[in-house]
Amino acid sequence: MNIKQTYKASTTKEALELLEKYGEQSQIIAGGTDMVIELRNEKIDPEVIIDISSIEEIKYIKENDGYIYLGAGTTFTDVAYSELLDERLSGLKKSARLVGSPLIRNRGTVGGNICHGSPAADIVPPLLALDAVVTIKSNKNTREEKLEDIFLGKGSVDLNPEEMLTDIKFKKPSENQNLGFSKLGLRNALAISRICIGVYLEVEDNKIQDIKVASGALGVNGMRERAVEESIIGLPVNKETLDTGAKQMVKSVEERLKGRSSLEYKGKAVKSLFIEAMELAIGKTLS
Amino acid sequence: MNTIKLNVNDKDYEVEIDGSMKLVGLLRDKLHLMGTKVGCGEGECGACTVIMDGEVVASCLVLAFQAEGSKIITIEGVGGETGEHPIQKAFIEKGAVQCGFCTPGMVLSAKVLLDKIPSPSEEEIREAISGNICRCTGYEKIVEAIQLAAKEINKGEESYE
Repeated sequence: MNIKQTYKASTTKEALELLEKYGEQSQIIAGGTDMVIELRNEKIDPEVIIDISSIEEIKYIKENDGYIYLGAGTTFTDVAYSELLDERLSGLKKSARLVGSPLIRNRGTVGGNICHGSPAADIVPPLLALDAVVTIKSNKNTREEKLEDIFLGKGSVDLNPEEMLTDIKFKKPSENQNLGFSKLGLRNALAISRICIGVYLEVEDNKIQDIKVASGALGVNGMRERAVEESIIGLPVNKETLDTGAKQMVKSVEERLKGRSSLEYKGKAVKSLFIEAMELAIGKTLS
Repeated sequence: MNTIKLNVNDKDYEVEIDGSMKLVGLLRDKLHLMGTKVGCGEGECGACTVIMDGEVVASCLVLAFQAEGSKIITIEGVGGETGEHPIQKAFIEKGAVQCGFCTPGMVLSAKVLLDKIPSPSEEEIREAISGNICRCTGYEKIVEAIQLAAKEINKGEESYE
């Protein structure tokens, strides 16, 4: 390891100035739950490490003008036990609660989960299903992007060396809008997602008025499942519709994972995971 | 090399560290507090659990420089050198210790749980220690010990009133 200098930033401005100065030589650390392992395995070899875990101004969960805002430094524990995030966002809280263990959730952050770019990032599918928008800052510039647009493939996120993710926002679901989440891990605690699914659902007159489905660990990064959405939008909320959606989910996964050894398993498992996430969003069991 | 200040077990320290040092390395190699164990080094086993600013963390995933200004509690800071804390007594009484490698982490996870929830359900106990892996006792006795400790602590508090 060639770490020459470490900085503990206490404000976003300070972090951005350091990022501007050191650029590609530098690496941000927040909770460190992914980053320290990468250092240990020599996957990354930065000269400068900038710690943002003590920046209070990026730790918040707040509501304003019909939007929910999550600071990038908010931990999984903060999200899992947030009182501001209500029943309709239970899928988001569930995704945070199922990350790692208390030890990991107390340190790992929402921003880190996104920026690390892992295909199995648990909090990404629910945020994709909520059509979240992220704020990315550099010392000179601030830009907003759709979360979906910043994923460029496995481990690759559209962030320049001098940039930092600071905020994630999404529209607060109203009465007939709900978020569901399901995850398949190989055990309860400390499980990395084999598959996870987030579903945002708007129901009116017992019909699917709007739907957004996103998956994790079924591709190079978390992604929207648009073919699934299109297969059931406008249909009545019943078991038949769930089966139609599940069928399309299986088809999409089969096409994407063709030739992979995990296909046989994932192709089958994804069906019940989709139904589980849908039923959580609907609020009752239909199958 | 640079110097950081932190508080460990209610004592202030100034420690010289290098950039790649982890908190667990600082505690063991610099402060010679050997109760914090090194297990997997990836945050999966919980042997390196310490309490950092009131929350349990895996000290193998915290770089030492990140702990500047933090308040750390290790197993040495719980119940003194003789292990007099009710959680430690309950672990001994229930036979919740075999090889002992996971015990410091288990006790610290239990401590933060009981600080927050004085009478936890069994589910809450299992959840709280879900990041601490024990390969000897099979968890039953550990859960029983935490239940006993909760009772003892609550009893103690009543008698103060």
